[in-house]
Amino acid sequence: MKRKKLIALFAVLTMTAGLITGCGTSGNTEESAASVDEGAAGEETAVDEGAAEETASEAEPAGEAEAVTIWYYWETEGHQVALDQVIQEYNSSQSNYEVSAKYVPFADFKKQLSIGASADELPDIAILDSPDHASYVEMGIFEDITGKFDVGNYYEGTVNSCTVDDKLYGVPFGVNCLALYYNEDMLSAAGCEVPTTWDELMTTAKALTTDSVTGLALCSVQNEEGTFNFVPWLWSTGATSYDINNENGIRALSFIQSLINEGVMSKECINWTQGDVMNQFIAGNVAMMENGPWQIPTMQSEAPDLNWKVTLIPKDSEYSSVLGGENYAVISGGNVEGALDFLTYATSEEQVKFMMDKFGYISADKTIAANQFAADSPYQPFVEELNYAMPRGPLAEWPSVSDAISLAFNQVITGTATPEDAAAEAQATIDGIVK
Amino acid sequence: MKKIKRMFRYENVGILFVFPAFLYMLVFVGYPIIRNIILSFQDVSAGNLVRGTKSFIMFDNYSALFHDSIFRTSLSNTLRYTILCLVFQFMIGFILALFFNQRFALAKPIRGILLAPWMIPVTVTALMFKLLFATDIGVINYILRSLHLINKNIEWLTTPGTAMFALICANVWIGIPFNMILISTGLTTIPKELYESASIDEANKVQTFFNITLPLLKPTIESVLILGFIYTFKVYDLVYVMTSGGPVNSTHMLSTYSYKLSFEMFKYSKGSAVANVLLLILLVVGIFYIKVTTGGEEE
Repeated sequence: MKRKKLIALFAVLTMTAGLITGCGTSGNTEESAASVDEGAAGEETAVDEGAAEETASEAEPAGEAEAVTIWYYWETEGHQVALDQVIQEYNSSQSNYEVSAKYVPFADFKKQLSIGASADELPDIAILDSPDHASYVEMGIFEDITGKFDVGNYYEGTVNSCTVDDKLYGVPFGVNCLALYYNEDMLSAAGCEVPTTWDELMTTAKALTTDSVTGLALCSVQNEEGTFNFVPWLWSTGATSYDINNENGIRALSFIQSLINEGVMSKECINWTQGDVMNQFIAGNVAMMENGPWQIPTMQSEAPDLNWKVTLIPKDSEYSSVLGGENYAVISGGNVEGALDFLTYATSEEQVKFMMDKFGYISADKTIAANQFAADSPYQPFVEELNYAMPRGPLAEWPSVSDAISLAFNQVITGTATPEDAAAEAQATIDGIVK
Repeated sequence: MKKIKRMFRYENVGILFVFPAFLYMLVFVGYPIIRNIILSFQDVSAGNLVRGTKSFIMFDNYSALFHDSIFRTSLSNTLRYTILCLVFQFMIGFILALFFNQRFALAKPIRGILLAPWMIPVTVTALMFKLLFATDIGVINYILRSLHLINKNIEWLTTPGTAMFALICANVWIGIPFNMILISTGLTTIPKELYESASIDEANKVQTFFNITLPLLKPTIESVLILGFIYTFKVYDLVYVMTSGGPVNSTHMLSTYSYKLSFEMFKYSKGSAVANVLLLILLVVGIFYIKVTTGGEEE
């Protein structure tokens, strides 16, 4: 009898132990799943990171190198490799800190930061989308770094995106904006001039549209990415993000709707990300597109023979574009000293130039940006467009405002509401958020 | 000491065996659910997730939901989607199960191959159907046009009504093998003698089906339908990849809307309230399932 009890007890113990080890393994699989993701995005990075781990284990016995972790969401291989190279150089340049970076997919980035914040498992540095910055400042997870970095030379909009109540909560990483790409061969074949106004854009787009080609495409998905692509049209009329239900806002919505109704823009745009739009453009299915400078490296390598140029987004009453890009943020409660040390290194002119070049980004530092590109570089129009670019927000409730804007544009594109009704509905939502 | 001894008596050993599983459920299932219920009674957004007080607003989140038109659409979408998917995948699955139950060459290998849709990751299926239903480059429009059934491409995924139809098609395709296999297994448990005696009594095929096959399959059918309901009701990945709840919020399900509220708009409490509505409905179905299955065993 006694023996039976012992056996039972033993069995229970082993099972409980199995439970605990079971948890351990599941944690590991999660990590390896993450590295598979990275592998899919860029094998080279995974290899590089393997190398990083090696150096880490070599460095460990020698000293007290403190770990500094970074989260970022760039899926482009070139971006990952460039960031990794900067990290490697930083790690070998000093022995106090050991920096490592982790890729979190863009779709999961906000979720991971939210979960990390409530579970107290955040990185030391986050490189995040600038319009979300204010929300996380309000959440209280970012360190106040006022006075630690000289941002006097930076584009005002980028600095505003990480400033709340006159305090600086981040450093702009790089800046981008949207402009109009056009297929030069198609334009000259149709005998068109480069459009500068909405009327010209409509005429040109009509002339360029054939059975297999649509004149214009812009990413119209119903989320922040869509909002990013819609606001230049909205702002060009003089409307603001918070004041849509007026003549100007309705004109912007009507114009996008007429592009669809005239058949010069495909309704499928509501399912196309900016990457999809670019793919349609280089495949020759689209003659003009609204897109950002980060597509240029991919376009040059995927379609070296395609003859395209970039120009300002055509205007209604004034030229307008939207400011995009990422900010570095230091997480409070983490390894703040180490994070600041790395950021000081990464924001030095040499490193900024290297990364901007590899990323296809424009430096947020005006003095660097001014001399960054040759006059005939395809990036140069973006530097000009930056003069007209405005930031979204900064507002802690920006995600809700953004949702109202992208919903309104999606309603007119799909024809489920008139521009007047869509504007009124969006305004009602926005008024409920911004009192 | 005696009490401890009594605890280890042989009759009680079963409890000890169940204990690890119970502990696991408590930590990994029970805790999140309770935490989520508490969250749904609070007012938590970006501002007070980490710091500050989380005030209890009790049922305010829930009452706000019922005034929220997107929530109402999501709820009715989820129900409509689940029921339509269940009807079609069950009927088609049943017919295929009966068909492959006949003894003919290759019946078994083909039935095995038909399991493929069930085994392909849902995101892959979703991407595949997204391309099939694409307006200009989609195969479905191409076939319909070649057959002269339509002369203008149908905008499947960019029109509210048809987007739902496309989602249902994709899910029915995934669900058919699941239904087929479970019903096939059920069919093999019916003793052959019954069919033999039926044929001696000169019963026809229809009579055999309604008087032998269907009644004896009842427990299987109940399980298939209820499990199918649970699987279909909590759909997330398929919708997220194919439409992300669009166009114009017309295909949001409870799961996708909950995700959007919580992680895209930082309305954590409202998002968890939506998740709890989902949980409540599935809980009712789950209890019903336990009743049905254990009831069957007692008979």
